[in-house]
Amino acid sequence: MASQYGIKLAVYLVSSYFGDLVAKVCECLLRRGTLPWRSIVQFTELNPTQVKNSLLVLIQHNCVQAFAMEQEGVFGEAPKVVTQYMALFDNIIHHMRFPKFLAIVSEELGKECEEILEGLLQHGNCTAQDALQKNFSRLLCARYVERCPAHEPFIAPPNEEGAAVKKRGAKSAKVTEELQTIEQRALAAAAPMEALRFLFETYTETDDHELESEENLRSMAVGQKRKHVDSEAGTNKRKKEVLWRANFEEFVRRLRHKACIENARTRLDDGAAIVLSAILEASRSSETKVKVESSIPLSMNTIFEEVMKSEDGRIMTLEHVRTALAQLAAICIDETYSVDLKSIIELAQNEEVESIVLKRYGREAYRMFRLLSKAGHLLETDKISDTTFVEKKETAKILFKLWKDDYLHMEKIVASAGRQSQFLLWKVNKHSLWGHVLDEMYHAALNLRIRNAHEQEQEKEILQIPREKLVGDLEKRSKRLRKVRIVLESSLMRLDEAIMIFHDF
Amino acid sequence: MSRSQETLSLKRKRPEPNALALTPENALLNLIKSKGDMGIWKADMKRETNLSEPVVTKALKALQGRNLIKEVVNIQNKGRKHYMAAEFEPSKELTGGAWYTEGNLDKDFIDILKKSCSKIIGKFKVATAQGVYDFCKDNKIISVDITTQQILEILRSMVLDNEIVEVKSTGLGEFHKIPVGTVCYRTASGMGLGQGPKVGAMASIPCGACPRINQCTPDGIISPKTCKYYQKWLDFGI
Repeated sequence: MASQYGIKLAVYLVSSYFGDLVAKVCECLLRRGTLPWRSIVQFTELNPTQVKNSLLVLIQHNCVQAFAMEQEGVFGEAPKVVTQYMALFDNIIHHMRFPKFLAIVSEELGKECEEILEGLLQHGNCTAQDALQKNFSRLLCARYVERCPAHEPFIAPPNEEGAAVKKRGAKSAKVTEELQTIEQRALAAAAPMEALRFLFETYTETDDHELESEENLRSMAVGQKRKHVDSEAGTNKRKKEVLWRANFEEFVRRLRHKACIENARTRLDDGAAIVLSAILEASRSSETKVKVESSIPLSMNTIFEEVMKSEDGRIMTLEHVRTALAQLAAICIDETYSVDLKSIIELAQNEEVESIVLKRYGREAYRMFRLLSKAGHLLETDKISDTTFVEKKETAKILFKLWKDDYLHMEKIVASAGRQSQFLLWKVNKHSLWGHVLDEMYHAALNLRIRNAHEQEQEKEILQIPREKLVGDLEKRSKRLRKVRIVLESSLMRLDEAIMIFHDF
Repeated sequence: MSRSQETLSLKRKRPEPNALALTPENALLNLIKSKGDMGIWKADMKRETNLSEPVVTKALKALQGRNLIKEVVNIQNKGRKHYMAAEFEPSKELTGGAWYTEGNLDKDFIDILKKSCSKIIGKFKVATAQGVYDFCKDNKIISVDITTQQILEILRSMVLDNEIVEVKSTGLGEFHKIPVGTVCYRTASGMGLGQGPKVGAMASIPCGACPRINQCTPDGIISPKTCKYYQKWLDFGI
């Protein structure tokens, strides 16, 4: 379940992209969880057509996944199949990262691929025929696009799990055991099989398809109307047709890699960054999930070969690479090296929280927080005071302040013997604190967006005046507005990177 | 025992300064001496000897006048009068350890040590605590007596400040003089570390330092639209 301000931010994003009606339906799903259509109508008090259209828009843009589930009939009626809708929180938040995704593709694959992806992101999904095939397959090869999941997979009610598992075969059975909620099961069932996910068949084209793709192209031009094609006209013909969408997972993985490499660059040096980048590049196709704990073990030869491919890496010697691996604390087993990515991400998380503590509570609090965060267990006030060189009374004051704002966890111990009968022990409870910090970051991201919209709204008249007429005071205001926008947007970009470190990586 | 108590009660009424028996002064002196380098608080003396406040005060004054006891500061509670026999030095629990002088944290001394350590490590790139200590001794950088332990404590606090980094020697490259696995301290070669804390994404916007973020809502009294911190932040003086 997403945090309070996570939901607020998601709703704000949906509202600014697709309007208030869609946002209302989306908020209903985010707050109340998965619901059937009838309940959404009930809760939102919108009329049924509005809800239906909103849902179609959300599905088109991968913000909602539908799935069918058998429900027991009431009053002895026969059980019936009900379609459920669930909001995909992560995908909604990804909408504000589209510029980043486009930048990655533009950098790696060029302008044409970027345009295709842009179309794909704007329209949610489309057929391969809509896109120019050659470049499309390059995007596919880089795994930046994937097949759309099934529109409405059927999920057996929980009590019949055994039977359902059998139906879906042995492989998915293993997956189901790990998954807990119905939502997670639905997502797993909707996802195309791994073998099919990136498979592109060029020979399946028929006349039918061509006709349809024309229709698609036309409807794509008018944008969101395409959903009608999807739902009504398309259902029969579409059965065999493959729909494609942007693969957010791959983008998140690329961004994760980038974050790790940048962290290595600032924390260690360029050499370490180049080697890590080479390792991640070489193992790219073998990674299966986003949050891998450590990189896939590679031999020295493979790493060196990959290092040589990059321009900066060409000047590195084998000795240099070896030192960089030592800096990265790569674990060496049987002559293969693996880098602990999880610890790099954790370091980045620590840095982010520590810098907030420094800003809010000052240098001495920063020292104490770092001490406790590194120790990972309870420490007594006096011990903290001694290690951080802060007067005992002052120490207690600072610790209390941090505790009051939920940055620290405190335990009292009352000893019966001795004069000093009460001891206070402190520690950083990372799990709950990280959740709290993430929610504040969502809140801050929402604030940045609101402020930006507000600033633009305030100076609306200036935006309408042609540039050559902007003189004197008007010119100043226009300059300020531009600067405000740059500051707010770049801050949001940076903040989003931090959000991803806590939520997606 | 009963005799001494008798004399004690007698003495209380008519104290004779030169009496050899257990006078309040002697009783207090014995008690204070028995506490060694921990000393004892005045109120505790009163309780343990069953003497009244004025008697204790007077006796303590007399003992202090004869240089048999001294008053010491207790770091745990500076307001409490603490006494100790003259031949003892206050324990670490009382003084707060080597970093305290007269009950106060010696911040100037700590700062000087920090600066020196930072210079030494900057010079060597990588050094162990022992190495820093030896350099200090050999070059007489610090006139006061210090221990390796103290240097270690200073270095650790500098690690907490993110001014230096703690690493284990790999025996390679710049570590060649240091045995493998020894804990050493270094300035960072990268851009971020060792140059003080990095400013995170959240900390660089007003919300990151905002004490009122909990009361802030999109359309509330405190809102990003009217926020004075934002106003200040976005006022470029154009």
